[in-house]
Amino acid sequence: MTLLQLVLNGLVQGSLYVIVALGLTLIFGVLVKINFAHAEFLMLAAFAGVVSIDTFNLSYGVSVLVATLVGASLGVAIEFGIFRPLRKRRTDELRPLVATVGVSILLQNLALLYFGPNPRQYQSPYMQKTIELGELYLSYQRAIVFVVAVAAICALFVFLRRTAPGRAMRAVSQDSDAASLMGINVSRIVLMTFVIGSALAGLGGGLLGPMLVIEPTVGANIIVLSFAIVVIGGFGNVNGTVIAGLLVGIIESLVTGYLEAGLSSLAIFGVLLLTLAVRPTGLIAERVEQNV
Amino acid sequence: MRKPRSKTLAAVVAGGLMLTGCAGTTSSGSDDAAGERDSSAPLHIGAVLPLSGDGAYFGVAGRKGIELAVEQANAAGGVNGKDIRVTFSDSVCEPSGAKQAAEKVISDGVNAIIGDECSSATLGLMPVLEQEGVATITPGSSALAITDPGNDWTFRIMPNEVMQGADLAEKAADELGAKTAVILHENTDAGIGNAEVFQTFFEESGGEVLDVIGFDREVQDFTSVATRVAALGDVDVIPTYTLEGQGVNITNALAQANVTKGGGGEAIQLGTIWLPLGFEDKVAENAAEGYVRIVQFDPNDPNDAATSFLADFQQKYDEIPNHISAHAFDAANVWIEAAEKADSTDPTALRDALLEIEGFTGVTGTVTFEENDVETCSCPNERQNIELDTIHYIETQPGGDLNSLAW
Amino acid sequence: MFSSLARQQWVRSSLPVLVAAVVIMTAPSLVTGSFWQRVIILALFNVVLAMSLNLVIGYTGLLALGHGAFLGIGAYTSAVLTTTYEWAFWAAFFVAGITAAACGLLLAVITLRLRGHYLAIATLGFAVIVYQVLMNWIDVTRGPLGIPGIPTPPNIPLGNGTELDFGLPAAHIYLAGAFAIVCYVLIRRIVNSPMGDALRAVREDEISAKSLGIRTFAWKCFAFTVAAFAAGLTGSLYAGYMGILEPSAFVLTVSFTLLAMVIVGGAGTLVGPVIGALVLTIVPEALREVGPEYRMILYGLALTLVVLFFPQGLVGIGAALRSRFRSSSRSKPDEPPSDSTGTGFAKEVPVDAS
Repeated sequence: MTLLQLVLNGLVQGSLYVIVALGLTLIFGVLVKINFAHAEFLMLAAFAGVVSIDTFNLSYGVSVLVATLVGASLGVAIEFGIFRPLRKRRTDELRPLVATVGVSILLQNLALLYFGPNPRQYQSPYMQKTIELGELYLSYQRAIVFVVAVAAICALFVFLRRTAPGRAMRAVSQDSDAASLMGINVSRIVLMTFVIGSALAGLGGGLLGPMLVIEPTVGANIIVLSFAIVVIGGFGNVNGTVIAGLLVGIIESLVTGYLEAGLSSLAIFGVLLLTLAVRPTGLIAERVEQNV
Repeated sequence: MRKPRSKTLAAVVAGGLMLTGCAGTTSSGSDDAAGERDSSAPLHIGAVLPLSGDGAYFGVAGRKGIELAVEQANAAGGVNGKDIRVTFSDSVCEPSGAKQAAEKVISDGVNAIIGDECSSATLGLMPVLEQEGVATITPGSSALAITDPGNDWTFRIMPNEVMQGADLAEKAADELGAKTAVILHENTDAGIGNAEVFQTFFEESGGEVLDVIGFDREVQDFTSVATRVAALGDVDVIPTYTLEGQGVNITNALAQANVTKGGGGEAIQLGTIWLPLGFEDKVAENAAEGYVRIVQFDPNDPNDAATSFLADFQQKYDEIPNHISAHAFDAANVWIEAAEKADSTDPTALRDALLEIEGFTGVTGTVTFEENDVETCSCPNERQNIELDTIHYIETQPGGDLNSLAW
Repeated sequence: MFSSLARQQWVRSSLPVLVAAVVIMTAPSLVTGSFWQRVIILALFNVVLAMSLNLVIGYTGLLALGHGAFLGIGAYTSAVLTTTYEWAFWAAFFVAGITAAACGLLLAVITLRLRGHYLAIATLGFAVIVYQVLMNWIDVTRGPLGIPGIPTPPNIPLGNGTELDFGLPAAHIYLAGAFAIVCYVLIRRIVNSPMGDALRAVREDEISAKSLGIRTFAWKCFAFTVAAFAAGLTGSLYAGYMGILEPSAFVLTVSFTLLAMVIVGGAGTLVGPVIGALVLTIVPEALREVGPEYRMILYGLALTLVVLFFPQGLVGIGAALRSRFRSSSRSKPDEPPSDSTGTGFAKEVPVDAS
């Protein structure tokens, strides 16, 4: 029973990681760039959610919406503020990453200045109760998160495969020059990608909020794990990211349950390096392509 | 093209060093040996705290306590008629940062220091104190080594690991009849130290420690930890050494796993003053039921100092103070009292006056400082230079009320 | 023996080094107050770290995001050897460098076929692993408890009866300064030699380089190993100076700080990382007054703005200003400096073709 419970814990936790990592992987797939401030978007969105509940007395559900919108807006801001100007200038590929490192530091400390270092509690009415499935248990909150994550992933899949903008996105990620020759407005697709990807980060903030401690450094703790997931799953590979995220969640859970909590990071990053050494396009590559 | 570049290098290196030179000389002021300070100068406290980065939670809380104390003292006329000054400097919770911050405030002319919160940071700045002859009261570091005999310039005001841990372990065995324990702790020197102390004393009292689970401060999800604890079977007590954020998540997770009383199980969580009052409001309903922990002052029967501190702090900052603020507040007041007793504000004189203080009654209890002599101290367990009467126990009732335990 | 032109050139290129040496020698007496002396020492360490990182990023065009790991490996190796095993400081110093170099070589071999972002993430992952090892290998590193009581280098007797006392900051300034100068000279040697040409060839176009017979893999390993060696040695000096080590001193933020120093100063130039290190070490300290949160905010802001608007870093700003003031100059304003910055704008290929 313990094993099953641990696996369940891992699946649920993993689905949360997937939400965050998906945003990164989408952006990378289309833009071939990494937004290092992605996790700060999650952090700021979570704060926005907390504020909307504490100060404006909105309901939890609405606060999640607020968080998602905040995430999306930040995505727009960083595309216009950082990525687009640098693209126009055709500087080397390192610059946007470094610029977003700077943005990440900036956002973290602005949040520290404005909100203070005291951790906030993101209240959700679903944290109290648990669902019992035989001998296994799951808190309402986590069940909800799992369901929403699955829904979001499915929606994303449908979007990418069945809708015109979605297909355009995939076209751009395969070959942006060819795509623009086919009449796709690459700039618009890029913007859309940022909106979706960062909205996912915001959604993650709203959903994870009640289960996390909301403080300015919360993003920094998540970002590196998200990178690991994206790499193991394959940069730009949506399927791979999903599987990798769930896998990482399960690894974390099992290592914590049976070994030492401190070793889970070691295990995950060991897998990361192994992936990069052996199969850099990702363990779960569905096609051997550079980008999805 | 190479020539200008190399010359630029030289110019830059020279310029950079000149800059620091100028900056250095203007601010070095009175950084010479303590004896040359103006001994009738007002009390100038240097606060070395983690004001940014990971430890900001402690530093900012400490800062608030100190500022309140100084504000109140100055409103009441200051020390010997002169206003008290405070200079804050950021240690970023690291030994190197603390060393730097300490040197900075000393060069600014402080005659007494409060700092650091983080144990390793405090250990890191101690050599500076020895060298410069300025004493510090650490308001929040729990490492034992800080006030070992031979460290003439360091004092503490918060009960250390042994004081809290030994007491907690013995009470658990005696008062609660606990036979088995699972220890949860954060992977810092404070967390590890406390866990070791508890284990030692609990085993000495006849208990058995089934598991010790440590984790980094970044860990947010404790579902699997709770599952693991649940799998251990009969657990009587779960001493938990984490800060509030992780503490909330752990309590919730343990309740969800039906391990603790709050979740329908049998185990009782134990804690130290790391958890602030108001913790019960942050966990899920009833999850904290049965939680027994040490607090810095008895909320049901606070002494006068605590009552007014609570009121004043809430009025100034609009929040409930945690133990960090309370201890920092007391530390500042200790220095203020020392300055009033001493005949000069020379750092050595202040330190000596500190040693004379008997029965200082602060927010957190009564404190007496004493000389830390290798010969006369009752080492190794009590190798500290204070006597504290600051340990109070409370138990969380269903519904969140706090019951004071007369242990 | 040497032509007067060659002699002139030798003097011209050595002059800045000599000037720097003189400045460093006099710094301890110019700068009083142990606070600013500490700032200088840390700045000098950062100079070496930035220069070594620049070798990998700026000259070889590899995005190494985990340089702090080598600093940590060197620092801990030295600390453990001198405390637990009571080795002599300089022996530990040397071994620390070798250990870090070996790890650098290992990382290079693992990431040999990776390029661009994949390489970056790999180096990031490596840095995380090193940090986790430092935190969890309690038997050796004491984990979060850290290693206290690390001895300083032994006092060096000078000729006239006095000795260089490492209990005082001045000695550390001299040591760090000498170390930085030596590293600068050596790196300049490498860069201005055919070795430098090979590295630059790898940076500009790896495939063409290979077709020319340049063993790109070997040169990548070389860059990583040399950079790691320098960082490891720095780590040893750092440990000896600090006296106490904690894993938290080697979190990812350190690597990002070093990256910033290289980029803000100007990658791919000799002077760039030096400027970047000096500015980004000294300015935050000067801003301590303003308030600690503002310090970090300004840091992040400065980094972002420099990257956005001054892609060639402070060196680029200097060059632009200089060409503007040179009235008779016919140099085109956008002519790149002799050792150009940037890592090339290659289409993202995760794995090297061969």
